Parts: sequence; C-alpha cells; structure tokens
Amino acid sequence: MIFSELYGTYYNTVAKILKSAVDHPLQKNEINRIISEEAFAESILNIAPAIEEERWQLILKDGTTPLKNPPSMPLTTLQKRWLKAISLDPRIRLFSDNLPDFSDVEPLFTKDDYCVFDNYADGDPYEDENYIKNFRLILDAVRNKYPLMVNMINRKGSISHLALMPRYLEYSEKDDKFRLISSGCSYGETINLGRIVSCKPYDKPFNVSTFQLRGERTATVEFELINKRNALERVLLHFAHFEKEAEKIDGERFLVKITYNKDDETELVIRILSFGPMIKVVSPQSFVNLIKERLINQKRCER
Amino acid sequence: MAYSELVKNFNKIRDYMREFYVYGFKSRDEFTKKSARSYDDERRRMESWLGDYMRFRQTPDGKNVFISIDSRDSRHNPLYKAWKAKSFTDGDITLHFILFDILSSPEYSFTLSEITDRIDSYHCRFDEPKMFDESTVRKKLKEYAAEGLVVTEKNGKKVAYRRAAETEVFDADILDFFSEVSPCGVIGSYLLDKISSNNNFAFKHHYITNAMDSEIVCQLFDAMRKKRMITIETISRQKDSAYEINLVPLRIMLSTQGGRQYLMAYTPRFKRITSFRTDNILSVKSNGVCERFDELRAALDDMQPHMWGVSTQSIFSQQLEHVEFTVRYDNDEKHIHRRLEREKRCGTVEAIDDNTSRFSADIFDSGEIVPWMRTFICRIISFSFSNKVLEERFRSDIEDMYNLYEIEDGESE
Repeated sequence: MIFSELYGTYYNTVAKILKSAVDHPLQKNEINRIISEEAFAESILNIAPAIEEERWQLILKDGTTPLKNPPSMPLTTLQKRWLKAISLDPRIRLFSDNLPDFSDVEPLFTKDDYCVFDNYADGDPYEDENYIKNFRLILDAVRNKYPLMVNMINRKGSISHLALMPRYLEYSEKDDKFRLISSGCSYGETINLGRIVSCKPYDKPFNVSTFQLRGERTATVEFELINKRNALERVLLHFAHFEKEAEKIDGERFLVKITYNKDDETELVIRILSFGPMIKVVSPQSFVNLIKERLINQKRCER
Repeated sequence: MAYSELVKNFNKIRDYMREFYVYGFKSRDEFTKKSARSYDDERRRMESWLGDYMRFRQTPDGKNVFISIDSRDSRHNPLYKAWKAKSFTDGDITLHFILFDILSSPEYSFTLSEITDRIDSYHCRFDEPKMFDESTVRKKLKEYAAEGLVVTEKNGKKVAYRRAAETEVFDADILDFFSEVSPCGVIGSYLLDKISSNNNFAFKHHYITNAMDSEIVCQLFDAMRKKRMITIETISRQKDSAYEINLVPLRIMLSTQGGRQYLMAYTPRFKRITSFRTDNILSVKSNGVCERFDELRAALDDMQPHMWGVSTQSIFSQQLEHVEFTVRYDNDEKHIHRRLEREKRCGTVEAIDDNTSRFSADIFDSGEIVPWMRTFICRIISFSFSNKVLEERFRSDIEDMYNLYEIEDGESE
C-alpha cells in the first residue's frame, strides 16, 4: 500500500529525533528544531506533546531513549518492486552500468504496462554510448561544480566550442530531452544534450562570478475561457504546470492568468491556439497581436 | 473528532487537492458537497503540508484558496507531501521503533513471546508503562511481513521473526530523476526521504497532479502484472455519480501534453477496449486471473497504431476516420516539416515540395487530433476529414476565432 504511515513524515521525523537521542540526551529545543526542519508546519503541535506526555513511549523525561540503535527500516517489497521497475528503464544507464538488479522481486511495472502516447518522436538517444559518456561527465560536473569545455553542434550545423559552468539538468517529458542549464557561457544558458558532441573538464582558470546569470525572464498572459466542450477542465489541467490563477467572471466564463518563461512564448502561443475559440487572450496586447497575426496569416492561406 | 493534520483516508483529500490545484476559483461556499467544517479542515491540512504554495484571493463571493506551483521551479513534486500524512495510533508508532530496535539486524531471530518480553523492558522506565499484548504484536509483525519488512521462519511449531535483509538503493541522482518522471514516483520520494536529495534535476512540462492517483495506478499495475480482472469504482463526471464496473486492465496511458492519465481496459460487459481516466477511479478491487489477458493486450497493441490519444471509437462511427491537412511554410521555416515529423505520432508526413508538407492519419477518433491541428493555424492551406461533422466544426471554429479577435477580411490583404 502506498498510503502508509511507514513512509510518513511523522515516522521519518521521529526517526531523526531518536537517532539524535541514541547519541545524546535531547533538550526540548533540539526536538522542536528537528520537527521544524523535517515535518509539516503544524506538526510541532502534535509530535512534541506526544513525546513529552509519553503517549509515544520513545523518549524519557531525561531526553534519553530506551532504543539502543539508531532507527532504521529495511525496504518494503513495494519499494523494491518500484526500484526494479525503474532499473528496466533505458534511461537508468545514463547514471551507471553497475546497478543492483533486485532479483528477489517482480517489477511493479514494465514498459508493456504503460505508454507515454504523446511525447515527441525525436527524443534523446539514451542508449548511445557517446551520449551516455557526455551525460555522466556533465552530471559529475554539476555535482562537483567544475567547469566544462563543451563541443556542440550549433543551429547552423557547425561545431561550437564553449566553456561553461554547469548548474543543473532539465528534463522535458514532452520533448523527451535533457537540457544543460549553465552559466558563464556566451551561447546562452540552455544547451540540448543531444547537440553535444563531446565535453571534458575545463582546465583553465574559469571565474564564473565574472559572468552575470541572465536569470529567468517571466511574463504573464491573461485569457478568457468559455466553458464549452469541457474546456474548463481541459484548459486548466493542460496549463496546470504553470504558476496560474483562475477566477470566474460569470456563468461559463472564466479569467485565467498564466506566468510563463518568455523564452517559451511561441510554444505558449500555439498551445493557446490549440483550444480554438474556447480561449480569447485579453492581455497583454503584444500577446493578443501574436494570436491575431497567426489568424490573419491563416485567412491568407484560405484564399 | 478533533482536527489532525494527518488523515486516514486519502480519497478524502484527493478531491480537494485537485480542486485547489487544477481549478482554484471556487469560494468556500461553493464546496457544497462537503460540510463547511470538512472544507476548513482540508484547507488547513494543505496549508500545513504545502506552506507557501497555498495562495488566497479575496473575491466578492468570499476567499478563494488555490495552489499555485510552477513545476519547473520545484525540483520535487510538492503534492507528494499528502502521501506522507497517513494517520496512525500511539501504539503503532511506539511499537514500530521498538520492534526494529529489537530486530536491529537480520542476524537476530526471535519468537513472538521473546519479542513481547523484550518490548516490556523498553517501557519499564516510563511513569506509566505501555504494555503490548501478544496479539497486538503478532498483528503488527504479520502486517510488516506482508510489507516485506520482516521475514517469518517456522521452527517446528514456533514461528520466529527476523528483519528482512538490507537492500542496496540507487543513489540520490537516480531517485531525484525517476521519482519525478516514473509512474508511482512517490515511492522514489519515500526513498529520498531517507537520504539527502542532490537536486541536480529540474523538470519542464511537468504535470504533477498524476501523483494524486498513485495508489490507484499502483493497484492497476499490480493487477496487470498478475493478469487479473478487477472491479473499479469510478465517477461519471457528466452524471456526477459513482458506479462499479468489471474490467481487464491492459495498459496505463500517460499524457505529457494534457496532464491526464488513463487506464486502457477491456470491458466484458460491452466487449470493448476503452479508456478510463485514473483521476476518476475511486477504488480498485482485484479479482481472478483473466485467461485472455495476453490476447486482449495484443488486441490493444494492434489498435494503438490507429489511436491518436486514448479513444478507440469515434462517437460518430465504428470505422477508422481519415484526416489530412497540408501546411505551407517559408524558406526560413523548414523546421515546420521537422515539427510535423516529430509530432506526427501514428500519422504520416510527406513533403510535397520545398515549402509544403502534408500530414495524414487513419484513426479511430479524428476529434482527438483537432487541438493539435489548430497549432498549425497560420499555415494550413487545406484540410479534410472523412468525418464531415468534424470537418465543419474545425472550419467553423476557425471562423469563430476570426470573429473573437475581430479579424476582418481586409486585414488579410
């Protein structure tokens, strides 16, 4: 069962408290600090009194515990079955060749049991040895914060040589691609891993502080939604991964505000178009014009 | 009952979380299905779990609560927190830590009475020692054996218990990644809670609501692995009522563009393979083994080359529907042809000339393809549907868009 107290925040928090109590007698403020760091906002109202009132007989009044060992729990069968399932995913090889095989359990699912039916066909080549080699070095550089020299195919089809400081990897399920988000690179902060031919640690002095992070350029778009053909549910779920606000105007009309990354504006334009006349962009005017421009061009196509 | 931030039944919060996250425009008064107190309790719980992700807006109708998350900024799905809020008794938690302290290594093996005696020794230093009788301890050990945490061994008439062997776990990067992109990723999140997350991955186009269906999907996977028939209780959103139906679960279909998740299943009652949204499923009951499982799954495999989404039948006809459209692009827009190739799914793309490409497909339900076709508005020079009702709707929708944005004929000159 997934919904179990065994995996719960309270059990994990109490395990942390007991781990400290096995080591040394605890003061009340240390218990409270662990609760604040590990549990939910209001958990302190429950966990601290339960320990203090000895409803959970795990910590004695003197701050010690009758436990002799730091708490630990083996993996459940469910956890092992999930690990086995992901060990069968081709993307696991991006991380390592030597992984446990969990031979004592059946996978929770295999590739036959599920299908991602609408991701793009030109996903990254996860089984390509060169891609794997680049991925591992990049991930190592992200982990250990060292600069890389990257050779990549640019938009013109030629090779660019870039020194950069990797920050993190971004994965898009829709594109089925990884992107390297970096700093200190004149080419831009985002590089598709699929375009990288080779990379190696950059061994010359590299002062990332001299490069300004471009930072995310966000913008907002507001549109009216007319709830026909179940559009309300479809639109709000479709745009659910953005920071958004929705409010009812009247009857079946709603106003939706979405905050997006300016770099993804074209994508947002076509996603809004996909809902046809159920959505009307109302602001900003520059975004309205982007939609109008497409409609005007469409009208031209019909001549 | 007094308020607690923990809950016993996950379905109770599933609806609220979805309302707050996906919709977020309803005021307190509009949550008419549940009591005002229930609403207040659920809202307070979510505030406690999700903190700053909870937002409020004052409207003339009252205060609206909503959850706003840019999933690109959040390295871990915040909604997983709800799965970590299961309630338990004072005895459960006390017994849990003591049991694993007694069974601190797989080398130790104890009988029930030995374990019960040892438990007593843990409590003797408390003012009012809590005593656990053998049946309570036996029940808990049986529960843990079912979860795989404890191994039972029979020695003559006596049963002995030992801790399950330790298992190697993947490193934090693997768990960081797969806990977000893999089905039932919350299980990976549970594992991450035991180690430190590296936070080296971010996720774009990342739908986090499917997390709320994890238990249902997990049960469906389990039934599929065992080739079992199931009975589900599911909601009909149109009728706003729940009903039960017997099914053979065949595959989970995940959408990376619409945020939905479906079960494809054979329905003996209608003798059809059809889809069910997992967020509508309230419960799954596993039944006997289905002898036809492999045959039915093979039938689904044969159908998928004609499924644009999850629809296996048009509402208009039983036959495959043909749809095609042609787009034109400038010399500096050659990426449009590549886009068609990339996004064509089960369709076919052909280059007519250097600046024109045609897409065509034979699918069960051409209505499913319409939203994608609209993304090419500005360059569609022709289109045709064998389903003439849809063809007319596609045409009139574009007309409606011209009207909506007041595009006059003159503007296209």
